[in-house]
Amino acid sequence: MALTTLTTHKTPSGFLLPSIHSAPPFFTQQPNPVSQSAVTDHWINLILAYARYRRLFILRVEDAETAGSEWDEILRNERIRHRMPPSHLSTILAAMVQRNVAAYESPKQTRSALVYWRLPEEWADVLHRWAADTGQLNTILTFYDITDPPLESPLSGIPVLLLKKAISILSKSGKAQTISIADGEGVRFFAGGR
Amino acid sequence: MHRRGAGLAAFDRQEQSKRSFAQLSSTISQSQVDHLHSQLSQFRTALAHFASTHRDSIKSDPTFRHAFQQMCSSIGVDPLAGPRKGGWWAEMLGMGDWQYELGVQIVDVCVSTRDRNGGLIEISELIRLVSKLRGVNSGEITEDDISRSIKTLQPLGAGYQVVEIGGKKMVRSVVKELDDDQTTILAIAQEHGGRVVENMLVQKKGWTRDRATAALGNMLLRDGLCWLDEQGEECGRAHWVLSAIQWDVQSRPRCAFAAT
Repeated sequence: MALTTLTTHKTPSGFLLPSIHSAPPFFTQQPNPVSQSAVTDHWINLILAYARYRRLFILRVEDAETAGSEWDEILRNERIRHRMPPSHLSTILAAMVQRNVAAYESPKQTRSALVYWRLPEEWADVLHRWAADTGQLNTILTFYDITDPPLESPLSGIPVLLLKKAISILSKSGKAQTISIADGEGVRFFAGGR
Repeated sequence: MHRRGAGLAAFDRQEQSKRSFAQLSSTISQSQVDHLHSQLSQFRTALAHFASTHRDSIKSDPTFRHAFQQMCSSIGVDPLAGPRKGGWWAEMLGMGDWQYELGVQIVDVCVSTRDRNGGLIEISELIRLVSKLRGVNSGEITEDDISRSIKTLQPLGAGYQVVEIGGKKMVRSVVKELDDDQTTILAIAQEHGGRVVENMLVQKKGWTRDRATAALGNMLLRDGLCWLDEQGEECGRAHWVLSAIQWDVQSRPRCAFAAT
């Protein structure tokens, strides 16, 4: 009797794929809404976990169209020769946006989205803590100083769009202020609320 | 030969002996009742002793539990009869609690895996998940225990049932009759590691294509008993019955109850 056993798998990057990733129907959009919602849940968990592991911020429908994307390890499973169809990925992205664990990168399109493996509110906390811990309160910082600091930080590589969201959250409680500087925008952080 | 009494005196004598017989009989039955009482109380003591000595083994050792349950049924005693039915077995053994607790855990597993298997779970898989839920120290669970617990769930009318499909016992947790075609499909799925395509039904079972399409469609769309795979290598569309797939123990996805 043929027994299909689904097992976990460690990718070359060291990420441990859950066993459902080796279930062939996992890659197909399910016609039964209850089944599809289970599939969607699993995909969202997987995408967020992988994004957190690899520090990936943006997921595009294109990532499912051509090989060679940084998401290949989860969007493709060569062991069972299955891959995520772009239309299915697009549905998952929509579900993520709806559940507030992603936001379309520019609101007028639905082909690429910021993936919130940390919510903007959580990024705001991380950002403020980093500024405080590195003694950069009350100093004017450029966005580049934050996204590409000399010392690797929890914020290294954060997309400017997400950074701006975090800063605007901090501004509301008086913990940050955006400032126009010579070559664009900068930000200044303050210790506490005013 | 002694002459039998005749005349009036004989009547008297007969009356008298009747009376003494009645007296004797009531004395005897009284002593029988007393004897029974003492036997019963002896039995109770023995049972209480048995319960206190073996309570833990009944709970933790499946073989012992099975033997105990067989003993109970052979003497016509229901170890689950609650106090209201006059069952001091249940009180002394805590067997009822144990069984109900298992029932609750079965429901937990069935409900939390339903979105994945459509409400049909293989009994060995159920045992594995229930055992995980119970933790390491609570002893082994057998198919027999599961079947018994499911019986105790019956009054709730939730439709839990043990069904046999393709020689495998499965627990169904949705009120839904599996028709013959679905049963056939599930049996085929079990032979092929969960995978079913239309051609298998047409070739092996001599079904018409329409019948195969309709039966698979029902399972897929109406009942959620299988998932669709459109990227199958040979035949394109394949149906996967998830309850027939073996899942890796460590890595079960989103298992809310495994967090403990």
